[in-house]
Amino acid sequence: MHIPDGIISTTAAIGGYAAAGGMTWLSLYKIKQKYGNPRNGIPRAALLTAAFFAASLIHIPIPPVSVHLVFSGLLGVVLGWFAFPAVLVGLLLQAVMFQHGGLTTLGVNACLMGLPALMAHRLFCLRSLFGRRKPLPNAILAFLAAFSAVAAGAIMAALLLIYATPAYFDAAAEKTAVLTLSFAHLPVALLEGTFTAMVVLFLLRVQPTLLEADQK
Amino acid sequence: MINGAAVGSAESGSLFGRWETRLKLPGLIILVFSFSLVQDLRLLPLLLLSSMIIYRLSALPFTCLVSRVRLPGFFLLAMAVILPFWSGQTILWQFGPLALRLEGCISLLLITVKFIAIFMVVVALFATTPLPLLTRTMRALGIPWLLTDLLLFSYRYIFQLSSDLRRTHTAAHLRGFKGISLISLKTMANVTGSLLVRSHQQAERVFQAMTLRGYGNGDQALPEFRPVVADYLLLAAAVLLSAAIVLAQIFI
Repeated sequence: MHIPDGIISTTAAIGGYAAAGGMTWLSLYKIKQKYGNPRNGIPRAALLTAAFFAASLIHIPIPPVSVHLVFSGLLGVVLGWFAFPAVLVGLLLQAVMFQHGGLTTLGVNACLMGLPALMAHRLFCLRSLFGRRKPLPNAILAFLAAFSAVAAGAIMAALLLIYATPAYFDAAAEKTAVLTLSFAHLPVALLEGTFTAMVVLFLLRVQPTLLEADQK
Repeated sequence: MINGAAVGSAESGSLFGRWETRLKLPGLIILVFSFSLVQDLRLLPLLLLSSMIIYRLSALPFTCLVSRVRLPGFFLLAMAVILPFWSGQTILWQFGPLALRLEGCISLLLITVKFIAIFMVVVALFATTPLPLLTRTMRALGIPWLLTDLLLFSYRYIFQLSSDLRRTHTAAHLRGFKGISLISLKTMANVTGSLLVRSHQQAERVFQAMTLRGYGNGDQALPEFRPVVADYLLLAAAVLLSAAIVLAQIFI
C-alpha cells in the first residue's frame, strides 16, 4: 500500500517521519552491533531493495483484478534488521523514479511496510526451535511471516486511512471500511505467503546462507 | 520497464536544474509539507497557482507529469469512488441507496488539489535532480552513509536485476513458459530464487572488487557547495511562501 501525497493529515505525515526515523536509528544500531563492518551487508540489502522495487511493477492476475507482490515478508526473512532501511530506500526510489507513493508520506509508508517486515523477521527466527535446515518448518514459518506481514500492513493502512484523512465516517462505516480493506488484501497475503515459502524452500536447497540473517 | 533517463533529464537547462541541490532539497520539502497542512478551501487556488509556477520554472514538458501520474492516480481514483458516497451526513443528492454527501465532496476536493499541487512540486524536484547527485546531497545534509550507500547500490542493482530478469524471461519463454499466472507460481518462485542467488553472488564479487579499490576507506567526495545569489533567492521564496501558507491556514 503506497499512500500518495496530500491524502493524510500533516500530523500523521510528520508522525510517520518521526517513527520511521526512530526505527531507522534502531535498525542501524542493531546492524552495527551484529556486523563487524556494516558495509559487508550492503550488497545483499541493496539487491533485495532492488527486488522490492521491481516486485511492485510485476502484476499477477487474480481474476477479476491483478495484484502485485510486496516482498515485505521476504525482505524480513532474508535481511533481518536491514529490512527497515531497505524498505525506506526502496520507497524513496519508487517515489523518485515513478512518484509511486509520496514524499510527505515516505515515513508513513516506510512504517506500513517496514514494521511488518521486521515482524516477519522475528517470526522466521523461530525456525531455530524446529530445526534450521528442515524444509517443513522453514516453509510454514516463511508462509506465516509473509502472510502476517501483508495482513498487518493492510490493517495498519486501513486504520491510518480512516483516522488520518479529512473524511467523516460514522462508527459502522469505519468498521466496514477496515474489514473490507483488510479482507481485500487476503488473496494478496495468501499469494505472498505461498510465494515466499516457495522461494525460501528454493534458497534452502540452493544457497541456505542467504537465509542466515538471524545468525550474523 | 525501468527508464533511468527519466530521472534528471532536465537537470542542466532550467532555473530549477541549476538551483544548488543543497538548498533546493530542503526548500521544496518545506514547501510540500506546508501544502499538506492546508485545510482551508480558500487556500487551494494559491496552492495550484504556486505549484504551476514551480512546474513552469522547471521547464519540464507536460507529458512528464502525465506519464508519472498513473501509479498514484489509481489511489486517488479509489478515494474519488469512496469519499463522496460514504463520508459525511449532509446529503446533496440521492438515488436509491446511493447518496452524494457534501462533506465527502469537500474532502475529495481538498485531497485532489493538495495531491496535484504536491505532485507537481515533487516531479519538478526529482526530474531536475539526477539520483547520484541527490544521494551525495543527502549525505552532505547529514543522512547516515549506510542509507546513502544502500540507495546508490540499490539504484545500480535495479538496472542489473531488470536486465537479468529480461534474459531469464526470454529463456523461460523459449522453454515453453506461458507467462505470469497463478498456475506458474512455483516456476516464478524458482526463477526469483535463482535470480536472487545469481545476483547476490555477482553483487558480492563487485563489492569485494570495490573494497580492493578503496571503497570504505575514507569519506566519499561530497558535491561542491557553490551557491549563487539566485539559489538563495529561490530558497527564500520557497520558505516565505511556506510561511505565508502556514500563517494563512492558522489565522484566516
